[in-house]
Amino acid sequence: MSAFDHIKIVSQLLDLPIVDKDERFCGIVDDIELSGTAGKEARVKALLVGPGAYQGRMLGWMFWIVRKIAGDRMARVPAEQVTEIGSVVKLKSRAETLGLHQVEDKVRAWIPRKGAL
Amino acid sequence: MNPLELTLGIMTAVGGFVDISELVFAAKAGSMFGYALIWAFALGTIGMSVFGEMSGRVAAIAKQPVFNLMRHRLGLKLGLITLIGSLISTLITCAAEVGGMALLLNYLTGLPYLLLAVASVAVLMATMWVLPFKWIERTYGLLGLLMIVFAVAVVAIHPPWAKLAGGFVPQVPSGLSSKELLNYSYFIVAILSAVLFPYESYFYSSGGIEEGWGAKDLLTNRVTCTVGFGLGSLLAISILASSAQLFGPINVGPEIPGTTALEAAIPFGKTGLLLALLGMLFAVAGAAVETCMSNAYAISQFFGWEWGRHAKPWEAPRFTLAWIAVMLLALLIVLTGVDVMSLVEYAVLFSIIVLPLSYLPLMLLANDKSYMREHANKWLAKSLGWLFFIIVTAAAIAAIPLYLLTSGGGG
Repeated sequence: MSAFDHIKIVSQLLDLPIVDKDERFCGIVDDIELSGTAGKEARVKALLVGPGAYQGRMLGWMFWIVRKIAGDRMARVPAEQVTEIGSVVKLKSRAETLGLHQVEDKVRAWIPRKGAL
Repeated sequence: MNPLELTLGIMTAVGGFVDISELVFAAKAGSMFGYALIWAFALGTIGMSVFGEMSGRVAAIAKQPVFNLMRHRLGLKLGLITLIGSLISTLITCAAEVGGMALLLNYLTGLPYLLLAVASVAVLMATMWVLPFKWIERTYGLLGLLMIVFAVAVVAIHPPWAKLAGGFVPQVPSGLSSKELLNYSYFIVAILSAVLFPYESYFYSSGGIEEGWGAKDLLTNRVTCTVGFGLGSLLAISILASSAQLFGPINVGPEIPGTTALEAAIPFGKTGLLLALLGMLFAVAGAAVETCMSNAYAISQFFGWEWGRHAKPWEAPRFTLAWIAVMLLALLIVLTGVDVMSLVEYAVLFSIIVLPLSYLPLMLLANDKSYMREHANKWLAKSLGWLFFIIVTAAAIAAIPLYLLTSGGGG
């Protein structure tokens, strides 16, 4: 596999939706953490999820607005958690164990649990 | 394929096709330019069928709704810009639909407009809370079928069929002054925008995923997009044709939906009027729900939240919060007292501008064999897709200059 193929894998991973072992959506691959140093092989170490991961991907003023609206939380999903990469990234654990459903759970507490068919 | 499901799907697509913008522009186009703009509706409908079929196929095979793939294909920055543009245009459209509902209810009950806007939003939100996706879609889609009264009305007034059929051929009417020519061009852009609203693809593809579509549903998808959208478009064309025959010759400009309802009242009296008003009310209410949910789908999919109304509201909490916020914001816009017809103008203007960015990633994914396998676009879908992409891009570039030059089609 050439260096270009590696780069292609990284670009294909970025911005893919993530689903946990129960097929629940639990975020987007907002950035990728690589291991390795200059001149050595780079490996995907973790997926970074949450608005805090936008920092390196947008202009300063855009990130400032995002941070004011959505905060700068960020979850780190170790690469070993990934079981499949296709049109979505599938994880082997539940979202809660990886800190990916914190906001979802917080908001859930505000929604009344009645009246819906 | 279950024939009952297919029939219901088609009927829902027919009843859910028309919204406030199409109502307004169809009636105005007929009154101002006779049958000469029927082709713009037909062309837009072919485009909607092409992109709708593509988005349904992508949902069925790649299991990806439009906004997930948009971010993946466009990247975070351009994706975010497209998201914001779509949210604004769809929110304005949602506000226009809510205002349209209040106007129609005002004709029916005589109660104050703003009170009816609040009541409309309360009813819409209650149905969205209580009913699961399939029943939300079907309830409004099937009730919107009352709009068929417009198709029956146009037959009843015996239009000049040869002239009407001639309207399906793209044309520039002879004898127009340069000012009228600009207005005609503005109407072409506005009609294309109203028929091809980006929210329709978002809602349709997300709906496919809500209903768990797979490869077995591809035929249903194709039939719904061609037959359902085609028949739905005929309702808009009927409104245009009646307007051309009834309003154009006596220089009546149908500026408000109430005038459009007269198209059914002239041949069928009070019953026709009531059916027309109720049909428009349900069609517009359905569009209000679709626009509201589309924005909630877009935000949730862009940020990877749990989404969908196949789940209970508390099972997709941020999605629920998103649609509640969108509906309340739409109501807030209406409560400022802004004119509904101005909202319609802004909605078509903003929508056509974001349209190319909405459809490009959809086409790229539908072309991609690594996701779509043997269901990737073949030569016909590819050719039509690119042709319509060029058309909507040209319309997007022309939209703002034409709007300014014609004061929004008013000359």
